[in-house]
Amino acid sequence: MKMILVRKFRVLILMVFLVACTLHIMIDLLPKLERRSVRSDGEMGCACSQNHNEESHQQGWGKVRPKNTGEPGWPNKHTLRILQDFSSDPSSNLTSHSLEKLSGTVDKNESFRKLEQQEGPRDIADKQLIQERSINKAHVGTGHSRLAALFQHPLYKSSVPPLTEDDVLFNVNSDIRFNPKAAESQDWQHVVNEGNEEEVFMPTGEAHIDSYPNWLKFHIGINRYELYSTQNPAIETLLQDLATLKINTVAMKTGGTQLKLILTFQNYGQALFKPMKQTREQETPPDFFYFSDYERHNSEIAAFHLDRILDFRRVPPVSGRLVNMTKEIRDITRDKTLLRTFFISPANNICFYGECSYYCSTEHALCGKPDQLEGSLAAFLPDLSLAKRKNWRNPWRRSYHKRKKAEWEVDPNYCEGVKMTPPYDSGTRLLDLIDMTVFDFLMGNMDRHHYETFEKFGNETFIIHLDNGRGFGKYTHDELSILVPLIQCCRIKKSTYLRLQLLAKEEYLLSRVMEESLQLDKLAPLLYRPHLDALDRRLRIVLNAVSDCLEKHSYNDVVEDDWDSSDAKDKTT
Amino acid sequence: VPEPPKLQKLFSHPLYQPQDPRTPAHRNLLLGYQRATGSYRKRVAHHNRKRRAHHAAQNSSAPLTEAVFDVSAPWLQFHLEISQDALYPRASRTVERLIDWMGNMTVISADLSPDEKALNGECDCNQVVKPSGTHLKVILQFQDYGKAMFKPMRQRREEETPEDFFYFVDFQRHNAEIAAFHLDRILDFRRVPPVAGRLVNLTSEILKVTANEDLEWVFFVSPANNVCLFAKCPYTCKTEYAVCGNPHMLEGSLSAFLPSLNHAPRLSVPNPWIRSYTFAGKEDWEVNPSYCDWLKQTEPYTNRKRLLNMMDLAIFDFLIGNMDRHHYETFSKFGDEGFMLHMDNARGFGRHSHDETTILAPVYQCCLVKEDTWLRLRLLSRPEYRLSDVMRESLSRDLLETVLTEPHLLALDRRLQKVLQVVEECVQKHGEGSVIMKEGGQQAAATG
Repeated sequence: MKMILVRKFRVLILMVFLVACTLHIMIDLLPKLERRSVRSDGEMGCACSQNHNEESHQQGWGKVRPKNTGEPGWPNKHTLRILQDFSSDPSSNLTSHSLEKLSGTVDKNESFRKLEQQEGPRDIADKQLIQERSINKAHVGTGHSRLAALFQHPLYKSSVPPLTEDDVLFNVNSDIRFNPKAAESQDWQHVVNEGNEEEVFMPTGEAHIDSYPNWLKFHIGINRYELYSTQNPAIETLLQDLATLKINTVAMKTGGTQLKLILTFQNYGQALFKPMKQTREQETPPDFFYFSDYERHNSEIAAFHLDRILDFRRVPPVSGRLVNMTKEIRDITRDKTLLRTFFISPANNICFYGECSYYCSTEHALCGKPDQLEGSLAAFLPDLSLAKRKNWRNPWRRSYHKRKKAEWEVDPNYCEGVKMTPPYDSGTRLLDLIDMTVFDFLMGNMDRHHYETFEKFGNETFIIHLDNGRGFGKYTHDELSILVPLIQCCRIKKSTYLRLQLLAKEEYLLSRVMEESLQLDKLAPLLYRPHLDALDRRLRIVLNAVSDCLEKHSYNDVVEDDWDSSDAKDKTT
Repeated sequence: VPEPPKLQKLFSHPLYQPQDPRTPAHRNLLLGYQRATGSYRKRVAHHNRKRRAHHAAQNSSAPLTEAVFDVSAPWLQFHLEISQDALYPRASRTVERLIDWMGNMTVISADLSPDEKALNGECDCNQVVKPSGTHLKVILQFQDYGKAMFKPMRQRREEETPEDFFYFVDFQRHNAEIAAFHLDRILDFRRVPPVAGRLVNLTSEILKVTANEDLEWVFFVSPANNVCLFAKCPYTCKTEYAVCGNPHMLEGSLSAFLPSLNHAPRLSVPNPWIRSYTFAGKEDWEVNPSYCDWLKQTEPYTNRKRLLNMMDLAIFDFLIGNMDRHHYETFSKFGDEGFMLHMDNARGFGRHSHDETTILAPVYQCCLVKEDTWLRLRLLSRPEYRLSDVMRESLSRDLLETVLTEPHLLALDRRLQKVLQVVEECVQKHGEGSVIMKEGGQQAAATG
């Protein structure tokens, strides 16, 4: 009897021990799992950015390629194999864990397409609602505003073709339903309104579109032709949200080459934080290669404004913000690796350096003053599980090697090959690429190795201009090699050409409208004066390049008429 | 070349004259003449044989520059003159010859430093304080077989160390190496191996003459068409970028090699006032006010002369603002009595607007100073021998222009005042007799 009791007692103790152990392991694993889910939550940083490392590059693609050649729907009719294989799925380098998650979302997507069919008309009506409330309030400055005048110009008044269900990225309801976090706790509306005086509750308890957080309105507004419409009022407020909303959690973005943080706001919106590394006046040293250049927070912000002024609208909204490193990063992060790198400098400032492959060391620590740190906050694109993106290798990608040259640098007829290769042989893709070339040349960004599109829209859609941190590095130098696609192909959209000409005119001078636009940001002034002046200088170089093309070729061969015929875009679809 | 006025006046001051004629110099020399020259002759011959063979194997048409044996080579004279007192005698012209020699002599080969080779290419990027082998330095060998350590320019003269930088991540400055040598000579310590500035042609004087593939590997041409080289480990870890010539020429410091460890072994001793080399850690001396009392009871600092030498080192480091003195070296031959070598001063002269008083901790904790040093410091604070003036004059001898900017020179005067103040406070507390010490001979040291 006694023995049995003792044994039972032993078993009991063993059980307790076992339970304690399991709990311990669970608690230990939880943060890791959480981080992993953050990692696989596709965000705008794009899956390719890990490929900066010059040496690892070739291997990386070697792995991706076979996957894509096996993809159906990719005709193998041309000889330029490398070009054909440019596309790669951003999800291809996710962990098996997240692949599972993705395969699950395919079903979800299908089911939500069905939903869409039922509720389609209502959603489009909702969309119209957003668009009708056209505002330009941000630019209603006192006195004469060049920026407001620019946006009033007929060249900026073109509207996208009528949108069908296939042209919008999201059905309004499904985005919320399938956003796991927002779906879990429907109380985000309350959180959103906490700060505001007027609290909006729908009598039915159903969320009305006006009560959606601005990041969601931004996501809903994405369509085949643009990331956001000129009239979408949510963009201005989203910019303000980025700069002011309370930050709930911070995680380090893994896989990137330079330190980036993922911030989650109280309304479940997320943003990518790039800290300030250089002062406004500092130039990239002349001996730095493009792949060793720093990422600049002010370049991210300025790129968004430049893209909007060029009327491309292909950069997700970015705001500047002074972040309190103690309260808004250190105290709320559960990332132990990040936490470990915090220290107090000899000058009593709070510093940290994080973990990444480029410039994450004590020598490059980011220090506040004493704890205020400047940075850029870029709004996240919709989760990859909801809106898959395709990652394309830029045909004019650089070698990312100290001594090697890329093919386009040695072959003057390189564009002829590209023109014959899908997807550049049809639609507006090549012209979109040249738009991006102009955009990159204006800011001096040599680091455009990949670009992304939304998979839903196929090949007839715009290019997302992500990762602009390496622009605005040198104001004394114009890197002409960035313009090579334009020079080699001698093609440009008429709408782009007309706007570039407009921005070279005194009353709409690019540098002045940029200055005015950037003035709206909290961290203004964002660009050192010589950078602004360089914009005008480079704009003239672009226009001269087009003129040179016009001398050699006929007008219609160079300038693609996407302007006069209002249904030009319809034709391409 | 006549000495510039103030400096000449300083060096002819009685305090800078040989004071102790009792010690015959030759008895305390580091090297024996016969042994040193004999070994030198053998090594030159061996070196030439090896190079000829290598040259023939490579079938290269480039002319081969052979090493020349020369008994009067400045570097050999320097080695032969090292004594128990100091690295070089006061009156010797060898130092001047050595500086000219390093600035002009033909380079016949270049190599990585032994401590970098010892790392064997290993590099731990998570290490906050990386071993000294990871810093960018190249050994240059001259035609007369002498060697010097080349440290390239990393920072412009006007740049200060950023305020958030810890001492262990600070840059290595070539001008600090040069200036530290001159300061050490002016203070009459004579414990820094002679250093000269030189414009080095990275291509013809390093890349083309090196036989080391690892060294060749770190060279590349930048987008601005300049020749650049990097320190392998920090570059791989992305903690620092390369240094680049313009397009080939890059200035740097050359510091003369000490005699080979085979002939004159050295001891590396941890500095008792070492820092924690962590972000937040504190060492015993930083928290314990009676640290020096404990140290006085500890070998080898029970030897009064050794402890006084520590004070000299602290004063020297405070004047240049060097917080990175984790070790010092001595020649084994001279034992505990021997002087300390003040090597690796590249982290001095980083901030002219800041005086790091904790470097003076040995002085204010022990309240000790050598009488000689004390008298010289007082002399250098007088207008006719003002430290900044004699430094400026002395540095003008270097081939590189303006080794130190004016703010750094003026900071020397300010810091000198602070040293004097600290000592005076000690004198007020403990009385002159127990603070200002005669170094004396061996007898005095034994009683200490």
